Amino acid sequence: MVTHGGYPYAKGENRLWCERLVHGLARHEFDVYAASSGPEQERSGLLPLPRHARLAATASPWAPPEGGAAPGRRGRRRAAELLAELLRAVCADGGARPDGPAHGADGFAEALYGLAELARTHGGLPAALRSEPALRAVESACRTQGAHRALRDATAADLLRGADALEHALRPLSFDWYRGGALDAADLCHAVSGGPGALPGLVAKRFCGVPLLVTEYGVQVRTHHLAARGDVRAPAVRALLAAFHRRLAREVYTQAALVTSGNAHARRWQEQCGADRTRLRTVHPGLAAERFAAVGEGPEGEERTLVWVGRPGPGKDLVALLHAFAEVRKAEPAARLRLFTTPPQGVRGDGPAAGYLAQCRALAAQLFPDEAEGAHAVGDNPVSFEEIGSPEAPEPADAYAAGCLVVHSSVVEGFPATLVEAMLCGRATVSTDAGAVVEAIGGTGLVVPPRNPRALADACLALLRDPERRARLGAAARARALELFTAEQNLTAFGGLYLELISHSPVRRAAEAVDAAGDPVPFAHPAESRLPGRWSGAGHVPAWASGPDAAPDAKEVHR
Amino acid sequence: MTAAHPTGATASEAGERRAAEERDGAAGTGDTAHVDAVRAALAALDAICDPSAGAVPRRSARDGDAPGAAPRAAGPEPCPPAAPASDGPAPAPARSRSAGSARSRTGSARAEEQRSTAGAATAPLRDRFASGHRAPAPPRRGGDPVKGLLHRHRELCADAVDPLEIAAGLEAHGVTDRTAARYRHRDVFSLAEEMFARTDRTPPNGPAAPVPPGPEEGDDGSRGPGAGPLLRAAAPGAVCALAVVGAEAAGGALRIPVAAAGAAATLLALLLALRSGPLRAGRRATAPARLWTLWLIAYAVCGQGLVDALARGGPQGPPALTPVPLVPLAAAVLPAAWCAHLFAVRSRRRLSLSRGLDAFAAATRPLLLAVSALFTGALGLLLLATGVLVPPGTGLAGAAALGVLLFLARLLAVHGFPGTASAALAAACAVEALAPALLLAGRLPGLEPLARPVEALAGSAGPAAVPVLACTAAALALLARAFALLTRASAHTP
Repeated sequence: MVTHGGYPYAKGENRLWCERLVHGLARHEFDVYAASSGPEQERSGLLPLPRHARLAATASPWAPPEGGAAPGRRGRRRAAELLAELLRAVCADGGARPDGPAHGADGFAEALYGLAELARTHGGLPAALRSEPALRAVESACRTQGAHRALRDATAADLLRGADALEHALRPLSFDWYRGGALDAADLCHAVSGGPGALPGLVAKRFCGVPLLVTEYGVQVRTHHLAARGDVRAPAVRALLAAFHRRLAREVYTQAALVTSGNAHARRWQEQCGADRTRLRTVHPGLAAERFAAVGEGPEGEERTLVWVGRPGPGKDLVALLHAFAEVRKAEPAARLRLFTTPPQGVRGDGPAAGYLAQCRALAAQLFPDEAEGAHAVGDNPVSFEEIGSPEAPEPADAYAAGCLVVHSSVVEGFPATLVEAMLCGRATVSTDAGAVVEAIGGTGLVVPPRNPRALADACLALLRDPERRARLGAAARARALELFTAEQNLTAFGGLYLELISHSPVRRAAEAVDAAGDPVPFAHPAESRLPGRWSGAGHVPAWASGPDAAPDAKEVHR
Repeated sequence: MTAAHPTGATASEAGERRAAEERDGAAGTGDTAHVDAVRAALAALDAICDPSAGAVPRRSARDGDAPGAAPRAAGPEPCPPAAPASDGPAPAPARSRSAGSARSRTGSARAEEQRSTAGAATAPLRDRFASGHRAPAPPRRGGDPVKGLLHRHRELCADAVDPLEIAAGLEAHGVTDRTAARYRHRDVFSLAEEMFARTDRTPPNGPAAPVPPGPEEGDDGSRGPGAGPLLRAAAPGAVCALAVVGAEAAGGALRIPVAAAGAAATLLALLLALRSGPLRAGRRATAPARLWTLWLIAYAVCGQGLVDALARGGPQGPPALTPVPLVPLAAAVLPAAWCAHLFAVRSRRRLSLSRGLDAFAAATRPLLLAVSALFTGALGLLLLATGVLVPPGTGLAGAAALGVLLFLARLLAVHGFPGTASAALAAACAVEALAPALLLAGRLPGLEPLARPVEALAGSAGPAAVPVLACTAAALALLARAFALLTRASAHTP
């Protein structure tokens, strides 16, 4: 398993999922190769690994390159030539349509592997990529015909930054993971992110024949673009990097035996970036269902109580939710809304989230004054903000148990984990049509357009007034979630993919086929998987298959 | 994503549930399908007005949900066609139609049907829609629905370097494929492509427009490198002057300890000044360069006396020391820091101004020359001031050459060429060491000719000529090399 800025570090993306995968698939042995994303992450420490997994190697691609062995003049020149070739392919491709014919596809791949070879044999690639010849190569690539317009206006500073960023992106080529019983000894390389994170997998595939499985829960190209939005760098640098990342993504998708994505949305991005449809698999992220079993099997929550669970942020559009709830209150004066916020975790700070939450609190106080039953009772607000982990709701499941209807008002959403949790709890849901919501909910909940408080209110009212329908939807949602979105389902899917890839493309190492004396070992590699014919035995061969064009078909099957 | 069919024993139960679901969906849609239908009709009208958008009405009618303000059962589960009919109770015909068949209807037919079934709950919606309040603008006007979107996301589009970037940005703003359908596009990607193609991306002011300085270029050349580094850079000069004056004042036995303490203090101040600020060479400074520098300074102090004594047939007793040139040299750390800072800042500005590497090299050459001249001038002034205060003829010319050499070497080391700098310093050291060595060798029988050139030099121009010659030659060579090396953009990595 190759991770980039993720798993074995205590702070990182994909942490939970990877941990579950490594712990869950005990029949496989895992060697974890981890590249960290920054010094902070390295300081955060490592998670304990199970017995069948070991941390094979770590690398710090963010650190300044070590002095080490500086490449010779020839090595530098060769690196510059290869870089020029790589960038020529990138820049010529930059203006082309994404789904058009891949110009210079081979140029890119050849140059990439040439650089990897150079790093393997000579070392010192980072220094070579920062040298003057490399800079000249970047410049000449920017000035080629057909390059992006922004690239043609690149200043010397842009060239410098571009070369620097490229060097960073290509740093995985310089890792010492590819020889001496490291990645070359693996049966399967599972890269849990695309882009530069999958570069080690590409190299292992190229030089050692290890099949590559790429899992992208957030498509790398998209992440790159979103990250680049906050970037103050000049357009030329961004254009260069965008083209490079896109080209790299295409190469990863081409070389990977299988590419898995978390939802249909990510898959569309992958297709857009040139992934082959037949090698894409959607493996839904799974959640631990047992945590929600008690609530899911238990009775329905409090009547006329709406629940929202999530991490506050502008993308969640709590403002629309509050407005919708105001409409609900007009029709159902006894309705209550409880908002449960999950405490911030991971590396992200909670600055903007806290600000947004305060804003929503103010709005709620404005929209809904405190109310009391009589002149002598202490009042209460129909909208309450609570935190998961507080005494009222120590666990997420308790939050869902609090209400009879779970509302989602997101405008922007990836895979809606909280929605799936609500489904697992057997709650009827009303959600907005964003991200993978529709895909997750299927037909087991109501979906309204985003940014439409009135529609949200209407849907909520419809469900609030109809307990029977609520129960039906909740049961259906729970059944669907148990079928599709459990951790076991995720594990099974990946276990199946591992076995499929290992059996279909076994690594054939020359060293395994000879014994200590150098004589060939009989049956070191079983011949069955190479038999030109059908695996299913000597069956009847149809007439159309015996023709001359049957050969490529057979090869396709047995590759 | 169609693998949601419950299996086996629960099939009939699920079928029942699904049928009920179906009803739910239809009932939910009923509320506002009316609005949908009106929209669809409007879209059809649009299409009539705008023949270029031929496929539109079909699409928006098919998707049905385009601008809807209604709850609906999302993307109804594709279920086996027999399931609802056989397992579930048959609902009312008008509502039991699966969404698929409802979608296949034309907008107007649907409008007819739904108008009859729309409940009272839609009344406020209808009013709102009729008054045009809140309805998303694009589909209502004919012509160009994307224009408004372009305007709303104009910054995103102007900055984008790639259609995918716009797509990512749009998605981050909540635009989905269903929204894109309103703009008559299959998906967000094609919408983004249109927006990318339609954005005018010419820079508002021509290519010669000054580029705003980046964050790392916060301080420009007019301001100094900051008070702290300047103070640290001024310290060696002050300490050295104190030490020399103190050593002169202290007589007799006290002189040597005072001089040693002064030398140590000066060295410490020098290291401190070089460790940070514009003269910092990071890890790139090599140990040999330090050794050569110390040797050159030591030679500046005692080399002159040594050569002089050797040329006269000595040495008798310890050679005469000339510590005076050390004071202006140490003081020159301050202008050196200033000049190095100036060079770094100015060259970085040229980096962002010049188009291409050759243009940058051409722009940096005069800068390098100017900075070198500036430093030489500053050092010359310091030496002149020293010359006024102390009796002349104490090797000030050698100090000037040495100062320039050290400055250039440091500049090269700062910008990542410590090897070149070290080599030049080593060459100067070798020449300086050669002079006494030749003089000594000349005393051996038969090797007299070896000493003659040095004797001639020392005789005609004085013993100070040796360091002047060595350092000047090395400095000139270094300057020539700097012209090639420091004008590379790769030497100015931020």
